[in-house]
Amino acid sequence: MFGSLASLQPRQLAAQVLNFALVLSTAFMLWKGLSVFADSSSPIVVVLSGSMEPAFQRGDLLFLWNRGQETQVGEVVVYNVRGKDIPIVHRVIQRFGGGSTPLQLLTKGDNNAADDTELYARGQSYLDRSQDVIGSVVGYVPFVGYVTILLSEYPWLKTAMLVFMALTVVLQRE
Amino acid sequence: MHNTLTRVQNVFGFFTSVAFAVAAAIAMSVLLSPQTPSASLELRNVQVVKGRPHYYSTKREEYAHVKFDLDADLTSLFSWNTKQLFLYITASYPSSDPTIIPPSEAVIWDAIIPSDYAPLHPNTYIHPTSKTAPKPKKSAKGKGKKEVGKPYPAGASPGIVRLDNQKPKYQITDVSGKIAERENATLTLHWNVQPWVGALVWTNTKTVGRWQGLQGGEAKFAFPPLKGTEVKKDDLKTETGGERNRGSPA
Repeated sequence: MFGSLASLQPRQLAAQVLNFALVLSTAFMLWKGLSVFADSSSPIVVVLSGSMEPAFQRGDLLFLWNRGQETQVGEVVVYNVRGKDIPIVHRVIQRFGGGSTPLQLLTKGDNNAADDTELYARGQSYLDRSQDVIGSVVGYVPFVGYVTILLSEYPWLKTAMLVFMALTVVLQRE
Repeated sequence: MHNTLTRVQNVFGFFTSVAFAVAAAIAMSVLLSPQTPSASLELRNVQVVKGRPHYYSTKREEYAHVKFDLDADLTSLFSWNTKQLFLYITASYPSSDPTIIPPSEAVIWDAIIPSDYAPLHPNTYIHPTSKTAPKPKKSAKGKGKKEVGKPYPAGASPGIVRLDNQKPKYQITDVSGKIAERENATLTLHWNVQPWVGALVWTNTKTVGRWQGLQGGEAKFAFPPLKGTEVKKDDLKTETGGERNRGSPA
């Protein structure tokens, strides 16, 4: 199995490595390009909780747009709680300010009876549109993102997938 | 060229391309289905009281309780790509400086109306049945099947909403704590169509192609002065929705 790898010319090996690096960098640049286009640090998110059911289920993929600073009530926004790194997808139910003052938003999940005041950081009663919100949901594809949830909840899946991919690459040489 | 791995790869690649193309076609086809939404929204009663509207309120503040009538026909919003309709009514009022700050807005009532093809979910709007309708007969078995209400009146289809003197789901508070005697407030009906796949769509008031703008669905009012102690606790009760997570948010 490994004999076939060793029989490759150095130039062929280098070409394979370069190909692989090109694929990786293309994927990375597509992601970053989309980030710039949508003006969001994370333009595609996966729904992690069931707090927006039945609209969004766990594993759904959401496309975000962050160029509309005048977020309206009823829009679904993705935000990070200050100090934490978990994105939360909820709907805006109140807005104050805007224009020349910071836009303050109150959010609530469709499947939560209470609004998000308890989720915000200590002393914070409202979200700041320019600081806390990553983007507003404009598009949606069901189920596609469930793979990422499985990968993060079962870490052995990640190693299993990598081993499987490495095996197929090596075995294809035959 | 003809080993199993290549064939599996080809099949999987073809499956992915076709699935993507079909999803894109479904998402784009929504533009072809005509929409003719219409609604009539009227304010029934508004009261402003001082108290603690939320369970986490630490100090007393002024809050408003708005009751309304709604008669809407939004059946044309339900196309083959509609998973659910999120209907909501907001009250908006001018800010402290209308020239540079846009109006403040708050949702007072919302409802999730799923399409008939959507899988059953407990978080669904249950349309109140009219009191004069005959009550369904109790089942002959000892433990009868629980009658679950539908999100539309009996005999209608999803999108028809007829509410009379409807209590709100949320009280309106202002960030300053004062909401009494504010003029030029507006009650507006909005919706958000959640598709099976594709772009989320919100209320359109202007006609775009086959989609007509919403006719009606607005009511102007003014917040009255603060009421004293004559307000009964019963009058300020809010409607309970179908949300499953009660208590602190997850």
